[in-house]
Amino acid sequence: MSDSVFQQPSRRAFITIGGLAIGGLAFAACAPNASTGSTGATGGTEAKLGVGNNGQVGKGRTGATADTLFIAGFQWGAPATFNPLAPTAAWPAAANVMQITYETLLRWNIATGEVMPGLAKEYKLDGTKTVTLTLQDGVTFSDGSALTAADVAANFELGKKNTGISRNAFWQAADAVTAPDDKTVVVTVSQKTKNVGNLLRLLTETYILPMSVFSKIADDKLPTEIMDKPIGTGPFTLTKADQTQVVLALNENYWGKTFYGGLPVVKQIIHPIFKSNEDGNIKFQAGELDIMQQFVSQIWKMWEGGKPVGTYLKDKPYFVPGSMPMLLMNTTKKGLDNKAVRKAIASAIDYASIAETAMSGYSAEVQPSLILPTGAEGKFFNADDAKANGWKYDPAAAEKILTDAGAKKGSDGVYVIDGTRLGPFKLITPTGWTDWNASCEIIAKSLKAIGIDCSTNFPQQAETTQSIQGGTFDMAVWYVSGVNPATPWARFKDIMSQSEVQPIGKTTFANYGRWKNDTVEALLTEASQATEDATKKAAYDKLDALYRTEVPACPIMYRPDEFYEYNASNFFNWPDEKNSYAPPMFRGAGNTWMYKIKKIAG
Amino acid sequence: MTNISSSAVVAEAEGPLVPVGLPTEPKKAKPGWRSLNFGSRMWIALGIIGFVAALAFIGPLFYPFGPDEKVGSLYDYPTWMNTPPTFEHVLGTENFGYDVLAVLMASARTSIIIGLLAGTIAVVIGVAIGVLAGYVGGWVEELLMGFTNIVLAIPSIVILILISISLQSTNVPFLKGAVGLALVIGITSWPWTARAVRAQASSVATREHIDVAKLSGARTPSIMVRDVLPYLASYAVMAWVLQLASAILAESTLSMLGLGPSGANSLGKQLFWALAFQAVATGAWWAFLPPTIVLTMISFGLLYLQSSLDEVFNPRLRRGKKKNLAKAAARRAETARKLAENQPVEVNA
Repeated sequence: MSDSVFQQPSRRAFITIGGLAIGGLAFAACAPNASTGSTGATGGTEAKLGVGNNGQVGKGRTGATADTLFIAGFQWGAPATFNPLAPTAAWPAAANVMQITYETLLRWNIATGEVMPGLAKEYKLDGTKTVTLTLQDGVTFSDGSALTAADVAANFELGKKNTGISRNAFWQAADAVTAPDDKTVVVTVSQKTKNVGNLLRLLTETYILPMSVFSKIADDKLPTEIMDKPIGTGPFTLTKADQTQVVLALNENYWGKTFYGGLPVVKQIIHPIFKSNEDGNIKFQAGELDIMQQFVSQIWKMWEGGKPVGTYLKDKPYFVPGSMPMLLMNTTKKGLDNKAVRKAIASAIDYASIAETAMSGYSAEVQPSLILPTGAEGKFFNADDAKANGWKYDPAAAEKILTDAGAKKGSDGVYVIDGTRLGPFKLITPTGWTDWNASCEIIAKSLKAIGIDCSTNFPQQAETTQSIQGGTFDMAVWYVSGVNPATPWARFKDIMSQSEVQPIGKTTFANYGRWKNDTVEALLTEASQATEDATKKAAYDKLDALYRTEVPACPIMYRPDEFYEYNASNFFNWPDEKNSYAPPMFRGAGNTWMYKIKKIAG
Repeated sequence: MTNISSSAVVAEAEGPLVPVGLPTEPKKAKPGWRSLNFGSRMWIALGIIGFVAALAFIGPLFYPFGPDEKVGSLYDYPTWMNTPPTFEHVLGTENFGYDVLAVLMASARTSIIIGLLAGTIAVVIGVAIGVLAGYVGGWVEELLMGFTNIVLAIPSIVILILISISLQSTNVPFLKGAVGLALVIGITSWPWTARAVRAQASSVATREHIDVAKLSGARTPSIMVRDVLPYLASYAVMAWVLQLASAILAESTLSMLGLGPSGANSLGKQLFWALAFQAVATGAWWAFLPPTIVLTMISFGLLYLQSSLDEVFNPRLRRGKKKNLAKAAARRAETARKLAENQPVEVNA
């Protein structure tokens, strides 16, 4: 009999237990987290600065890793090589990351827009002719050899020897680099582009490498040479690297002791390599990571739950805006070639929803401008013109723009303009870029709501890149230049450049939407060659006004350049808005906090 | 009798298990539904499925919020957890700020529709191929079963993923949505139904009534539809229920991988976004638990329904109340004893 196998009581018991388990799980999830750590105010006689956003600090780490900084969010696979010229170089040899092993001549500060001293103690501009840099005293590499001005010049010459390495781009901004004496480097600005901003950007991003090592490598091997013992000017040297972690040890003879006012606080830096964001986030929450650069959804839950977690800004958006993902529109596609349609699209997007849900509240209000309204670029932003001639989320206004331009709603609820149905448009972005995927869903819904047929599609990253660079996409969410010494010019160039654009099917690296305009190129040159803030502002005003009438693309949210988030379980005195001795970044001037944080234990 | 494999037929041949005509008290007329001899399992299964179906199809008519209506922010707590508690958004909001319950209703509807469509497609293809192969036999059978075995050997999830990816990048809205996904699931999940149906069909094909039908001049298609198919109907219904359950699960698998229907809600998509926005890590249980529970209820309900349908179609497996079974067993023992003692058995025929 089948009955003997499935006895009624045991099944009932199973269901009961199952129900209890689910119920228990639900209640466990709603119970408030037990609070850990003590408040900063009670920890010492005076209030500690740079602690968790809830004012708390932890008890500090003791034992073998007491003097170790745990950092994450930069390296995601097993490190392949520590050759900074390799495109796949591992952290901290990867391009433009925290200056731990390799350093640059100048350091960029995202908060103030300053170009600060690095290996060069000062730089002087001579209009748009030359940049003269003076090196710091006593700069040495970790192998003890000294850095000379001739070495610096030879560093940039590497870019001429192999056109496949990134520092080849330096020679589009500069005509020559000379070393008149041991301490002075003179860079001649390219007289073709006269773009000092872009040159400064390259000086803040190009590592100075030991020529004793790199002069021995054949020119064609420069990007492929495998290196496991990187030698740099930075305060840490690599001691161990495998698929689970990268370990760096302090170089006690670091040249910058006097310049930075002492050696870094920690003796060792460990970067554990995680499989996914989630793994890192859990370790971070538990205080097993001290600082990281990872997207954490609803990070405030960490400090509300009693963890001493902190961000630079203490209120929303918590992170300082540093880049603006754009909705690119392919102006060669019928319908999207009409600027009224593009402006209607820009007015139809529910930006607040994107900021609040897709970006977890980490984005400030988006402005109709290619200039970031805050931070380093804030001085160029024209708020009045943006308000008068820009757009904001207003579906009724969006439909009015369409009907004013002669569009008529078809029987299927989709507008038809000059015989072209607005859609179906495909909106693409790479799969797995979670917040961008969610933004696309919101954009597609927003557009459908006003009568533009749009659906989302998330292909692999390579496929997305190809279709954007080749110009075969309809609409896409994609990135443009973040904040650096070359922006906002670089961003205008990314969106509006006429000289760099290639025909459909050919790879292009600017103006992916293939937008056409006769006047913009002159304005771009004017902005790039301006040296004074006032003349720059005038040029940017004209560019931004043109941008607002033509809308070749529109920003959908602001993202931080880097997610700067710390856990004050073991160290305090992290930079934040109340303790703003360093900008909220890792690269460039972000290395300052390495020398200033304080240990809690001992 | 030979060639009788269907246990239902065996049961019939053995005659009624309970001797009829024993003196009985006049019974009260039962209400109609009680005379459906379904058993408690069937009612539980139907109850679960009915609940989910009501949630999916009737719920949205009464629920004040739509699945596209932004009512809050990213993972707002269920309102009954607030002080003072209210019951406005019982399950809080999900990552887009939409009401979880409203989305859940829309999702359950899409998932059920996809399941129905995909399950029906799979069963229609499977039964058609199975009956054709099983009845016609010969090289047709070899060919069709060879093809079926090849399809069976390819892991269907791989095909599902590949076709879904290519469907997603088409510009045909019909194929990108739920219908396209249902088509894909339907046309990849028929093989095992085909194989099982072929086995049954080839057994039915050798029965006498088929010979009678042939002698009476019926043509092959007519025999297949009128004389073979009815004998497989009970199996086909059960296969359909199973296909329904597995199609709903296949949809959630694909959606969780981010290959779900474009522009529609589904249970798998709800889980996809909950995972993507770290609902588990941030403790937003209301974002991932409700779709998980509904998914579990659907597949549990359908599997339970399938196993109880077995009882309906096969009286031998039918389980009544224990009391009745004991009585029937006693009666059978009594009959056997009387037969053994050559006593006349009371038969009222």
